[in-house]
Amino acid sequence: MKKNWWKILGVLLLLYVLTVGMLIPLKPGIVEVIPGSVRTGDQIDLKVLGYNSFYSLAKKPIRAWLKLDDDRALQASDVKVTSDRQLAIRFDIPDYLPINTKVQDFALVLDSDADGPSILPSAVFVTQDSIDPEMGLQVWKNSPIDQLTSKNILTFPFRNILSETIRNTYFHVSLWLSMMIIFIGSVGTSIGYLRTNNLDFDRKAKALTVAGFLFGLLGLTTGAIWANYTWGQPWSNDVKQITTAIALLIYGAYFILRSAFEDEEQKARISAIYNIFAFVTLIPLLYVIPRMTDSLHPGAGGNPAFGSQDLDSTMRMIFYPAVIGWALIGLWMAQLLYRVDRIRAKLLDLH
Amino acid sequence: MGILRETGWLLQKEFLLEWRNKFALSGILLYVFSTIFIVYLAFFNVDPRTWNALFWIIVLFAAVNAAVKSFAQENSQRQLYYYTLVNPIAVILSKILYNIGLLFLISLLTWLGFGFVADNPVKDPGQFVLVIFLGSLGFAIAFTFISAISAKANNNATLMAIMSFPVIIPVLLTLIKLSANALRILQDTDIGTDITVLVSINMMLLGMALLLYPFLWRG
Repeated sequence: MKKNWWKILGVLLLLYVLTVGMLIPLKPGIVEVIPGSVRTGDQIDLKVLGYNSFYSLAKKPIRAWLKLDDDRALQASDVKVTSDRQLAIRFDIPDYLPINTKVQDFALVLDSDADGPSILPSAVFVTQDSIDPEMGLQVWKNSPIDQLTSKNILTFPFRNILSETIRNTYFHVSLWLSMMIIFIGSVGTSIGYLRTNNLDFDRKAKALTVAGFLFGLLGLTTGAIWANYTWGQPWSNDVKQITTAIALLIYGAYFILRSAFEDEEQKARISAIYNIFAFVTLIPLLYVIPRMTDSLHPGAGGNPAFGSQDLDSTMRMIFYPAVIGWALIGLWMAQLLYRVDRIRAKLLDLH
Repeated sequence: MGILRETGWLLQKEFLLEWRNKFALSGILLYVFSTIFIVYLAFFNVDPRTWNALFWIIVLFAAVNAAVKSFAQENSQRQLYYYTLVNPIAVILSKILYNIGLLFLISLLTWLGFGFVADNPVKDPGQFVLVIFLGSLGFAIAFTFISAISAKANNNATLMAIMSFPVIIPVLLTLIKLSANALRILQDTDIGTDITVLVSINMMLLGMALLLYPFLWRG
């Protein structure tokens, strides 16, 4: 019990991640707005489809805006609740807009005291018949978005396209991070071998590399499943997908290299050297090259960076335990592999 | 400095050996020219984008073939003799320096040969030479070290390929981007960053090779 506390901790953390990470609902959000494009001067009735929303439970009337930018927004003249998931919102689009572009996208912002605020970026595209920003300024009835309801219930953020798949953060991203932790451990034991020439260090390094390699494969697979739902196909030749595949090739070469030697000492020394060298080349591969190229991943090519917007405080409560949990389970797997290796070596010595 | 003088002597030995049997350079040159000719016969019309890709593939394979020889010709008795005489860092450093020179020459000749048969799309020769030089630097450092590893496994050629190709990809991706700029296929205003990245990857590989080679050589 005293010796194995970290295994129990790992299992408990993963159980926590599996249950809480799957059970906490998403924030109410907006899935779709019909029609998606209108003309100036129209009086339009937008049909809004909500997600996880309870529109009929709202005690105060639901408010809605079409948001142009941080200062300017147009308030709805009428909001009708059709059902819990559906709204009909009426907007009077002015004849002229206070901007120079022919087509302008507006975000739809909703505020209900039952659900809290929700937003759909680029919900409606407005086409101007004739452009006159001066006239637009005169006819623009600005109604700033204020006094939004703040709700304090435990939810994950609702993000368009991602929606429920946001929960994959606890698997894809945290598997990836714990893989890095395990590989760092493997490099540490390889350095340990070169310093002491103790074969146990080599066995540990091999076991950790196997566990890390497995996590890398799982990270790639969970990523491909995620990409299938969000980017439309499992493999889109995204730079991070490519560099990950290369990283796995590097570690694949590590296993082939090991099998090329008969002598245990030589196998241990040379694979330790390659392991350290390979890990150092991983750094530009995983952290420099993806930053130089456009990527579909968050944090590259104009996509929002991970951490600031994608991970809110509720998600952090699950995400960090997930990283630690996966790392501990990986260590446990590596420990089992290491023990099997050691027993095998002892048996071979006896005969 | 002892190491620098030892490196100088070993480098001189490398050139002397090369001059005496003219094996590595002439073999590689024949390899490069036959590859160029096959590629040309297969393509005939090579547009700049393809030219860029094919050029680096030819150079990459020639570099692997050239570098794999760096430890193959050293038998174990001679290794033991070095071991009693010189610092291991001098050994790997002299091999790397020799390979840099060899690979730079090979890439220049590939450019000449490929440009001769399939036109020369390079718009900025100065930049292209710089890119070629940085490329030879990266290839030489990585491949010399990997060939030292594969020499320990009886010069296993498969092992050399599977270990060196993934390791060289960060260098190769940056190189292709930089040379695309020298060919004016893409306009990059921020070429300095790419060069800095390439130089720092090269320096990192060199540091690791110098740090790890003494352990490798002990066997």
